[in-house]
This record gives sequence, C-alpha cells and structure tokens, in this order.
Amino acid sequence: MRAFESVHPAAAFAYFISVLLVAMFTAHPVLLCEALLGAVLFCAILSAKGFWKNMASYVPLFAIIALSNPLFSHNGVTMLFFLNGNPVTLEAVLYGADIAVMLIAVIYWFQCYSFVMTSDKFLYLFGKAIPKLSLVLSMALRFIPLFKAQLIRVNRAQKAMGLYSGKSFTDKLRSAGRVLLALITWSLENAVETGDSMRARGYGLHGRSHFALFRFTGRDGVLLGISAALTGLTLTGRALGGADFAFYPRITGISTAPLSLAVYLAFGALTLLPFIIETEESLKWTYFVSKI
Amino acid sequence: MDLFRVENLTFSYPQAEKKALDGVSLTIKSGEFAVLCGQSGCGKTTLLKMLKRELSPHGVRQGNVRYNGTELGDLDERSAACEIGFVMQNPENQVVTDKVWHELAFGPESMGLATDVIRRRVGEMASFFGIQAWFRGNTGELSGGQKQLLNLASVMVMQPKVLILDEPTSQLDPIAASDFITTLGKLNRELGLTIILAEHRLEEVFPAADKVLVMEEGKVLLCGLPREIGRQLRAISPKHPMLAGLPSAVRIFSGLNIDDACPLTVKDGRRFLSAHFTGAIDRVEIPEYTHSQIIAAEMKNVWFRYGRDLPDVLRGVSFTVYQGESFCVLGGNGTGKTTALNVLAGLNQAYRGKIVIGGKKIKEYKGNELYRHNIALLPQNPQTVFLKNNVREDFDEICKVMEYSAAERDALIAEIAVQLGIAHLTDKHPYDLSGGEQQKCALAKMLLLKPKILLLDEPTKGIDAFAKQTLSGILRGLKAQGITVIIVTHDVEFACENSDRCALFFDGEIVSADTPNSFFAENNFYTSSANRISRHIYKNAVTCDEVIELCKRNYEAAHEQ
Repeated sequence: MRAFESVHPAAAFAYFISVLLVAMFTAHPVLLCEALLGAVLFCAILSAKGFWKNMASYVPLFAIIALSNPLFSHNGVTMLFFLNGNPVTLEAVLYGADIAVMLIAVIYWFQCYSFVMTSDKFLYLFGKAIPKLSLVLSMALRFIPLFKAQLIRVNRAQKAMGLYSGKSFTDKLRSAGRVLLALITWSLENAVETGDSMRARGYGLHGRSHFALFRFTGRDGVLLGISAALTGLTLTGRALGGADFAFYPRITGISTAPLSLAVYLAFGALTLLPFIIETEESLKWTYFVSKI
Repeated sequence: MDLFRVENLTFSYPQAEKKALDGVSLTIKSGEFAVLCGQSGCGKTTLLKMLKRELSPHGVRQGNVRYNGTELGDLDERSAACEIGFVMQNPENQVVTDKVWHELAFGPESMGLATDVIRRRVGEMASFFGIQAWFRGNTGELSGGQKQLLNLASVMVMQPKVLILDEPTSQLDPIAASDFITTLGKLNRELGLTIILAEHRLEEVFPAADKVLVMEEGKVLLCGLPREIGRQLRAISPKHPMLAGLPSAVRIFSGLNIDDACPLTVKDGRRFLSAHFTGAIDRVEIPEYTHSQIIAAEMKNVWFRYGRDLPDVLRGVSFTVYQGESFCVLGGNGTGKTTALNVLAGLNQAYRGKIVIGGKKIKEYKGNELYRHNIALLPQNPQTVFLKNNVREDFDEICKVMEYSAAERDALIAEIAVQLGIAHLTDKHPYDLSGGEQQKCALAKMLLLKPKILLLDEPTKGIDAFAKQTLSGILRGLKAQGITVIIVTHDVEFACENSDRCALFFDGEIVSADTPNSFFAENNFYTSSANRISRHIYKNAVTCDEVIELCKRNYEAAHEQ
C-alpha cells in the first residue's frame, strides 16, 4: 500500500484534477517537463514492475508525435531543410516535441490516477450526488466478471460437444452471436434473483443512506490545502503572464523573471508532491525498520 | 412464543393446475432451529417465500401467515424487510455489489443508518464471521463458500429476528457446506436466533435441529423431533423416497427394527451399533472385480499449468480406465480434478505426458473428431449446455451436427427421453427446470452424441437425494450399454454407490485407486458416514445398505444359536 493510495478520495481527486488542468492547457516547455517528471516519478513508485515495460512503449509514441508535427505544419521562420518541396522548420519540430511531452505526461498522470482512484473511490465521490448511479455502477462492476466467467464456461461446454468451433470467420461470428443471446437470457434470469436479494434486504425503503470506508483526516486537509495553494499560485502567475510562451512565428525565450520563476517553482512543487510524500514515507519506514 | 404461525395456507401459481401449497399449517417458536426437507418441487421454496413478504410470489392464496401475531401483509415495511432475513440458494446471484465491505453495508444503507452505526455493525459482523481477511476484496474473487458466508453476514448485519434459508449449501463443496451449517448452529446457539432452513443435505443439519418438517406435494407430511422422523417416515412407507436423504445414522437405524433412541451423529451411530450388534460376520462379500482388458482412456504422467509463470495444476497424473468401467475421481476443492477432466476432454492441452483415448493419442484427433462418438463432457453447471429456447431445439441442433437423418433423430431422442424420464420436459425452457431436471436434460444432450466415454464433472451438485438416486439408476443403465463413465466428485456417498473403482486426487496427481470397498475401508477420514459408523465392527461396509445387511445377518446368526 502506497501512502498516496490511502489519501481520502476527495483530496486525491482534487489533486489529480488540478495537475491535469494545468498540464493540459499549457504549452510552456518548463511546466510540461515538470508535469512529465512528476508523473514519471510517481508512476515509477506506484507500479515499479510495469514501469519499464510501459516506458519502452512510450519512446516510439513520443517519436511519432514529435516527428509528425513538422511534416504537416510549416509555420515558423527558422528553416532547417526541405522535404518533398516543403519546408521543415525548427519551430515546428520543437512544438511537436513539446506536444509529445504534454501527451505523454497526461497519459502518465492518467495511469497514476487509475492506480490511485479505484472504482470504489470514484463511486464514493459521486455516489452522494447520484446514489442510484453509484449503485448501478457498482453492480455493473460486479456483473462484468460474472458475465465473462459464464461466457468462458458456455464456450467450453459447447466446444466439448463439438459445437460452435467452426474455423471460418462467419461460423465464428454466428456462434458468438448465439452464445451471446443465450447469455443475455441467462443474465436476465440471474438479475431476477439479484433483485430479490436486494428487496429482501430492504432496498427501496425510504431514506437510504450512503456508507463508505473513507475518513477525511487532518493529513488529507493539509494535502488539499497545499495542492490548492500551489495550483492557485500557478494559475495566478499564468494569468499575470508569468508562463507566456510562443513557438510561432519564432520561439520566445524561456522567461526568468521572478514571476515566471515563482510559477515554475509552484507547479514543480505541485507535480512532485506525491513523489515527495512517497519518498518521505519510505524513508520513514527504513528508519523504523532500522530501529526495530 | 410463536414467531411464525402459518394457518391452512393454500397457494397456487397462476395458470398452474396443481396447488404449490395445500393446507399448510405450522408454527415456528422463537429461538427454534427448524429444518424443512422434501424432494425438489414439493413446495419448500414456495413456503419459505410466503414467509418473506418481499419475495412472496404472485398467485391465488388462502389462509394466513402471522409473524409475531401480526398478519404478514399488515406488517410495516421496515420490520418486514429488516426483521426477517432471507438467504437464497445460489451464492453468486445474491451478491449485489463489487466490494465485500459494500455488500455488508448494503442492508444497513437501505435501513438508512448513519455511517458510524454502519461502520460498527459491519465491523462486528466481519469479525463474527471471520471476514476480516477479505473485507476489502472484490466479491468476484471469492470462492462459493465465502460468497455464501458473505450473503449470510450481509443479512445478519441487519439484525434480523428470524433467518430463513433456502438450500443455502446446495452449490457448495462438502467442507464449505459443513462450515456454513456450523455457523448456522452457532448463530442459533449463541444468539438464540430463530432459523428456518430448507435443506437436502441433512447429515450435519439433523443434530443441530430442534424440529424437522417433511413436505410432500405441497403438504406438511410430518413434523417432529429429528430423532423421530426416521421411524415416522418408515411407518408411512418403508420405501419412502425421503428416507434416502436422511443422515446415514438415521438411515441405518430406521433400516433395523431396534427399540432404542435414534442416533443422529456418527458418534451416536457407533455407540448404537456396538450396543446391539456383534461382529461375528465382519465383512460383506464382494465378488472380485474384473474389468475388460481394453483401455478406454489413459493418462500417463500428464503435466499441465494454465500459464507459463503459473504453478503446475497437474503434476504427473497417471491413470487407466477400462472399457465399460465407471471410474470416480474424488478429492478436495482446488486439487485439480476438474482440470484433469478438461485435459482429458481436450479442452486444455497438457504440456507433458501422454493421453490416449480409444487407443489413439489425443493429439491425433483432428477437428471435432474427438467429440464425435468418442468423448462427451457434462460440465458442472448444466445450464451452460443449453443455448436455445427449449430443450427440444437444443436436441435437434445436436442431431443436425451429428448428421442423423430425421427418422433416426426422432427415434433416438424418443429413446433417450424415455431412458432418462424427461419426455415431459422437452418443450420447456431449460432455465425453467429444477437442478435435477436440468441435469438430466443436459445428460440427454450428451447421450445424443453417442459417446463411448462420458465424463461427468460434479454431477451431484445442487440436486437432492432423490434426484441423486435417479442419476445412479441412469448411470447403471449407461454402464449396461457399455459406456465408460468417468466421474469427478466431492460426494463420497455417491462415489461409493456408483463406481467400480475410486481414485483420490491430491496435489495434482492421483495418489490411490481401488475398488470402492477397499478404497474407503482403508481411508480413515475420507470415507462415507456409513463406513465411519460401522468401521469399528465391520471391515468393508461402505454404504448404508451394506451396513444394514451385515447387522441383520449378524442378528440372525446370533438368534439362531
């Protein structure tokens, strides 16, 4: 269990939303690099196993996005060379790389999001607003694996009778259709029982309440406060022009004015927040273990 | 105090000619553990559902059901939902949500309890039922036994006054079933909870019960103490079908005409036998078992695993089944029995070892050849066999695949329908049939393939004692036709009665194989109750009938002198 996984869903959700909002609506290279760095570090801690495997698949993705921009966009004044009679400009190449960084950073953040914000946390957050929907979602999440398992069982049973195992594509399609149809009957049949079970346990009584395991603690408050402050700082700085950057027609320099530095610092701190928390936690554990 | 008082209740389903319940009267006292038994279709489920208002079926009803002195229909919604708990048969379908903790909280949420109260109740229940270890888990990943325990806990968390259970253990393996019944006993003893349980596996239930009700064709046939039911049933008819479903000790007792208290447990049964019978003749004569020399199916050192990085499920399985033999593979849950059967049926490929079916290696069968007049597998869940809207259409389809002519098809279907006694079922939707009926129809579909080898995976799951006897009869008929039968089962009693040879599957291989009488006589724990009751006197009796026969012979021998 990682430290960030035990954060209250509201705090975690607010954090992810603020980082993603900033990262998705800026083209500033410094901010995007910070977003990428934070996401990669966070992801590495959350899923150490799958991390390198993922990384390998993102390198070609990065290359494709970065290289495709200059092929289609010929804006910019610094010409590098001509390709099939079209100019390839430095600005377009850099902009491509910038967009690639943004996309990959966002993908990484979503990965971290899906790791931390499991379905039950999401349901908890939005269940209060729409209790019926949250129950339906929870039931769906329960039903999908059930349906899958039955599908496998039916297919095996039919195969063992030498049925529905034709080699041709149309045969396969037809048999899949039949199995699916039978499965729908099966699920309706089961749904009746599930409905009975719900009614037997008082579903439909007036004044249903909503229970969850999560507790909002002081720690969550502090995290929420810090991330709100850092996001506020970043957004204000941006609004005041501290994070202005243009690729076309000519790349503007990266500003080092105090306001800009403040924005970089605030957003950098925001993106590194999970990493810092996790590192602090693991250092604590090493310390505890060494004491034991 | 009477918690439930049912007076002259008659009920019939819409458009049904027969009454589902016919003048049922009974009372359940507070704190009582009442067991309801009877053949499938006798109205147990209907009666139980009439006691829970939310589940009461629509139809024509007369008579009344009083709960705590109030007519059930007049009870306020909240008490009706919360005070009467109901657990159904299928563990899978009752689970509503995806997380264990959420499932536990479902009832209290409906009651509108505050978060803190729910937290305490859920915590209390999880601790009582030992759910802590998987409290935060997904419900989809639980075993059948865990799911049913969760269903029980999520009803108990609403703090009901009475618990109604409709065959809750029928889909569970024997160990999980026994744990479940033990938990019910604990609830009854330690909390004084009133329990009404419909059940057909009575071995463990009888000793815990205060009262047993036997139902037949919508009527309450008998109502009495567990100790008296056996004798009363025999008084009605010595060959009453319900007798077969009673615990072994009761069956042995009621098969002998001895004036004593009826034993309910293995312990009492042993005492009873010691007190009344000698062991002068201490074994049943079993004709020496001979089998054909032709090998029907063989596995030699077969290894299998589901994925490269997963552990081996089969570790060098070797066994031989001869033509016309009935071979039972016994073993606990998750030992790989079913996997072995699937590998034998060609559904999974072994990565090492040799499998020979009908004198030919399994790899040499091309396409569907293996399933044409060779091997047929009846899966654990017979529902998976049917895809059409009625049983007949499913039969027709398989006949079409097998390329039978129309005349041949009709003759074959008619013949098999008579043999299995399902002629009246073929126009019904497969899901409308009871567990036992579904299984017979699924078996019929397998027989239409005209297999030489029939594989059965847990054929006794979810069917009552009577259906089990019918199945045994069918299997004997198939054996007479020369079909080789391989059965994988948990059910020791069923294996005793239906196998020429038994094998114990453990840790991915077959550890012993022998004829049932020597196999079970040598086992100490993994053996039938009848054997456990009699083993201190008789060497090799494994079924109730064998024990009764030995007792009678000893009795006669003693009285001739």
